[in-house]
Order: sequence, then structure tokens, then C-alpha cells
Amino acid sequence: MKIGIPGGLLYYKYEPFIRTFFNEMGVDTEYSVKSNKEILDLGIRNCVDEACLPMKLFHGHTAKLQNTCDFTAAPRLMNCEFGESICPKFHGLPELISAGTGKSNQLFTEPIYLNDQKKLKKVLKKNCRCIGVPDVKIDKAYQYAMENQRNTSFGIKDSGYRHRVFLAGHPYNIYDSFANLNLLQKLHNLDIGVVTEERVCRNEKLKAMAGLIKRPYWLFFIHNFAPAISLMQRKEIDGIVYVSSFCCGTDSITIEMIKNRAAGFPVLVLKLDEQTGEAGYNTRLEAFREVL
Amino acid sequence: MKITFPHIGDAHLIGRIFFTEIGIDIITPHANTEKGLEKGSEVSPDEICLPFKLMLSNLMEAYKLGADTVIMPATMGPCRLGEYGELLKSILDRKGYSFQWVLLDSPNSIGKQELLRRLANVVSGSNKSLPGILTALIRTYKIIEKLEKLEQKAHILAGYEKKKGECKKVLTSCRRDLAQASGISQALKIIRHHRCQLGEITFDFNKKPLHILVTGEIFSMIEPFANHHIEELLMDMSVSFEKRVTLRWWIRRTILRSTNLKGSINLKKKRLPYDIGGYAKETVEDGELCVEKGYDGVIQLFPVGCMPEIVAKAVFSKMMKEREVSILTVIYDEMGGEAGYITRIEAFIDMLNRRKSLEQKKKREIYNRKVKGKTHVLSGH
Repeated sequence: MKIGIPGGLLYYKYEPFIRTFFNEMGVDTEYSVKSNKEILDLGIRNCVDEACLPMKLFHGHTAKLQNTCDFTAAPRLMNCEFGESICPKFHGLPELISAGTGKSNQLFTEPIYLNDQKKLKKVLKKNCRCIGVPDVKIDKAYQYAMENQRNTSFGIKDSGYRHRVFLAGHPYNIYDSFANLNLLQKLHNLDIGVVTEERVCRNEKLKAMAGLIKRPYWLFFIHNFAPAISLMQRKEIDGIVYVSSFCCGTDSITIEMIKNRAAGFPVLVLKLDEQTGEAGYNTRLEAFREVL
Repeated sequence: MKITFPHIGDAHLIGRIFFTEIGIDIITPHANTEKGLEKGSEVSPDEICLPFKLMLSNLMEAYKLGADTVIMPATMGPCRLGEYGELLKSILDRKGYSFQWVLLDSPNSIGKQELLRRLANVVSGSNKSLPGILTALIRTYKIIEKLEKLEQKAHILAGYEKKKGECKKVLTSCRRDLAQASGISQALKIIRHHRCQLGEITFDFNKKPLHILVTGEIFSMIEPFANHHIEELLMDMSVSFEKRVTLRWWIRRTILRSTNLKGSINLKKKRLPYDIGGYAKETVEDGELCVEKGYDGVIQLFPVGCMPEIVAKAVFSKMMKEREVSILTVIYDEMGGEAGYITRIEAFIDMLNRRKSLEQKKKREIYNRKVKGKTHVLSGH
């Protein structure tokens, strides 16, 4: 029995956990390759038209894996570690996948709350039993996977470049070099170093959000708005580059909130969509460097 | 303190009656117009959903009319509505409209005491005592209930009326009178009066009109400007329709959810078994109801970019492939283009009408064949 793990969406954030978990259990798994043109085309064909680029890529990965695997993972992630919620499309991911690709062999379709470890373990156990893994093995694998996830350090903090910008955006846009047209390399070529949100600690984020009238609830709002404000106040960055996917619901609010706070501060918003027009993209980056 | 809140359906009518009853000044911005929408779009981010742009223009207008406090409902859901207040404040502050903000958040995020404090703050300028306010609140709820019952009845009966447009006339005049009502008692009287008027219309119950369900995102459903007056359009086409998502349903659901009281409607359907934010779950339920109860079709409405409804649309597309359900998805944005919407809805209704008449013809043929050929099958022998 083979399980396919699509390498899209929050896979980039929880990669150590996922890899260790399945390795320790000794399950036959297939990881999808890096995104490419073929996957994007598959995704566009299999996905509801109104969805955003990362969603379409995830559909592409899944559709490709479905050819060779018995099951594919489509986790229904409801909450993250501190109870933040994500976009509604994550909540309906299994439905989107099964409606889009026409196959309903998804695993982990129960709601997963990462802030409640007991529930998380329960869901994992329930699904792993389906594929024939004994409970003892699951417990052990879970423990190792958790440790591995905790001990891995994420994020980028470049030094030695002429300028430094805060690279905001969702992890799947920042780390998927196909979706963002190799943005990191391009920034480095322009002598611009980047900082990502993982390198700003939680206390500083909380401090930066003190002026809001309501406690924000989106993971991506907290992870982009707060570090941007915090780094700006500490004058550690020269500008902000925001990579966002076209028609992203949460970003439409986050970007506006950052712009309202950052009067006169250079902010570049890059929108990603299925069109891969690279020339315009390059020009904008070069222009942004001139601004810096 | 002069209170205001953005337009959503008939909330401005009812809110005005309630706050005048308890003696608090309220400013109602004018109904949504194309011009207002343009003004709202100018200052709001491009990719935000349509309701936000409309609300922004409402608030800007209310400020010019003298309002100084905004009441905004908010959720902790994954839907964007929860962050509306935050972003509205940020944009309006920058533009120089300094409002005081009262966010009516759900108690599990800010605590019951905080919510009560905020509510007390709203009614602090009232000349009535607490029991008086509570009574007014309950009677206001009654108005909503009665008004929606009247609407529901009119929507269903619209398909059966002998002379076209009479149900619509009753609803319009009811709304017009309510906008002038001076208190709760008078409002209730107005609704009763119009209910009687609805009873006096002559109907032809031998007709077989289409029965469809209108479903989708709540703001597009209950704000007539946001859906290009789809209700009136359907009534003009003699279609009898129903909608489950209304203002009263929303109030009931929010209160029951936040107080953990039992009795909330919780159908667990297999198509979308979990709440994914917004009203996508209810939309999908409506689609399933359509199959179970034999409605002729479903019209799904949502503003462009609405995150939960996109999931619902995906589920619908699967349902359409598998079973005989007819669903039309209409996505609204700030471009007018009313003719295009109307054409699509008309085409959909025509298609349903033709299908229905074909089905009835087929049924009649089968019946005739059976009656002529094997009479004993029908009589049970």
C-alpha cells in the first residue's frame, strides 16, 4: 500500500514532522517532486476555477500522485499551534480535492487541531490504523516526529548583502521556487538579503500587535503583519517584499494593514498567478532595488 | 452619541425602530447606490470582497451625516468578516473619519463580561431602564420574525398569483411603511396590515410554478443591492422560491452558538460535514435539501473571492456531475453589468421550466400507458 504526500501548501512548514512520522512507521510513501509546469497544468485542469495558485498546485501534486498511490494525504487543518485559524479553503481541502480530481481516496480528512495534541494524535491513529500500522509504532513515530519538528530551525536571515528586506508571504509562496519564479535567487542577485517571519520571536510579534482593536485570528495575518511592524520599528530592514497569490482572501486584508502602518516605507507586493510572465516580474524587482 | 451601522438587508429598518424606541440617536446612511460603491472601491483594497466596499461607503456617508459610533458584528471564524472591523478602522482613521468602534465579538474570544460591557456602552445613552430595553429587544426580534414570515410567504406565493406583481407590491409597500414607523407597536401593526393584504390577493393554485432554493453567502443573500435585486427578478418571473439564510436565522445562530445553548439547527450531512467558516456548510446543505425535497433547482450567490463559498462551489460541481441537480452559480463583483446577470438567471429559469414540463409530459405518458394497458397494476392486483 502506497501513500502519496503532496508537496504543497503547509508541507513546507511541517516537512520534518511529516517525513519522520512516515519513515518511523515504515509505511511506503511517495513524496511528490518539486512543482513544475506539468503539475501546474494538471492542477488548473482539476481545480475549481476561483481557487488561488497554491491551491491549484496542491491539486496538481495530488492528481499526479493519484496515478501511482492508493491513498493521498489531504489534511483538514483547522487550527495551528496557538489556535490560529487558516483560510477556509484549508478547512474544506478534502472536499475540494475530491470534487476536483473526482477520486475520494484521501487520508486525514478529520479535523486536525494542532493546538490540541490529544486530538491530533487521535486523528493520526485513526487514519494510520486504516492503512495497517499498529498503535505502538504510531506512538513512537509521533514522538520522534514531534521532536524533529521542534528541533528543526526554519526561516532565512541573510547577512552580508547591501540591503535587507522582510520577505513576507505564506510559506508555500516563499519556499516554492516554481510558484514565485525563483524569487530568493533573484533577490540575492540584486544584492538584497531577506529575513523571514520565523526569525522574529513570538514575544516580539505579540508586542507589535498591541495596537489592534481585536485579537487577530489568522495564522498568516499574525505571521506577516506582526513581524513587519516589529522589524520596521527596530529598523532592521530597508523594505518589505510581500509575495501573495492572486485573489488571496487573507492577504487582501494583511497587505492593506501593513501599508496603512508603513507610511513612506518601501513595500513591494508581488502577485502570483498561473501566468508565468517573468519579464514584468524582474523589472519590478529591479525598480524596487532602485527605491531601496 | 450617534450610532450607525452598515447596511445589511433590512437591518437598517429594524435597527432604526429599536434605537428610536429606546431613545438613542441613530443615523441611517442612504441605501446602497452605484456611486457609493465607486467611492468605497476607491479607498478599499482591490481584492477584498464586495460587502466590504459597500460597508466602507456606508460608513463614510454616515460620518458626513453626523454619526460618531459604529457597531460592527465580528466573528472569530476563518472568514474575512471577522477582520472587517479592524481594516475598516484602519482605513477610515487614515482618511480622517474618526469613529468610535464597538465590535460585537463572539463571547468565546473576548469573554462574556467584555461583550456585556460593550453592549452596556451602546445603550448607556438610553432614557429607558434595563427591563425596558430588554423588552424592546425582544419585541424587535418579534418584528424581524414577523417580517421574515411575511417575506417567505410572499416569495412562495409569487409563483401562484393570478395578476403578476401583487406580492412584490405588498412587500415594497411594507418596507416603505416600516421606514416611516415611529415605534415598535406601529411597526408590528404595519406588518399585520400587510399580511392581511397578502391574504386578499387571488391565487391560482392549479398552477405549477418552479420551486427553487436561493442560497449562498449571507450578505449577497439579504442585501438587495449586492445581488442586483434577484428577489424581485424572480418574483417577476413567477418563480416561487425560498431561502434559509436570513437575518433572523443569523441572529439565532450567532446567539445559540455563542451561548452553547442547544436547539441550534445542526444537520450533519456527508457532503461537507464540518463547519469551514462563513456559510459554506449551509449552502451545501441547501444543495442536498434540493435533492431530498424535490426542489427544481438552486441558485448560489456569492461575491467574487469569497473563500468559503468557493469550497461550496467545488462540492456543487461534483454534485452536478453525479446527480440530477441543477445549480446556477452567480458571482457578483463591483462591476454593474446587470443585464448579463439577468440573462443568465432567465436562461436558467427557462431551462428549468422546459425540463419540468418535459418531465410532466413523460409522467403523463407513462401514466396513460399504464392506465390503457395494465389497469390492474394501478389498482394493486
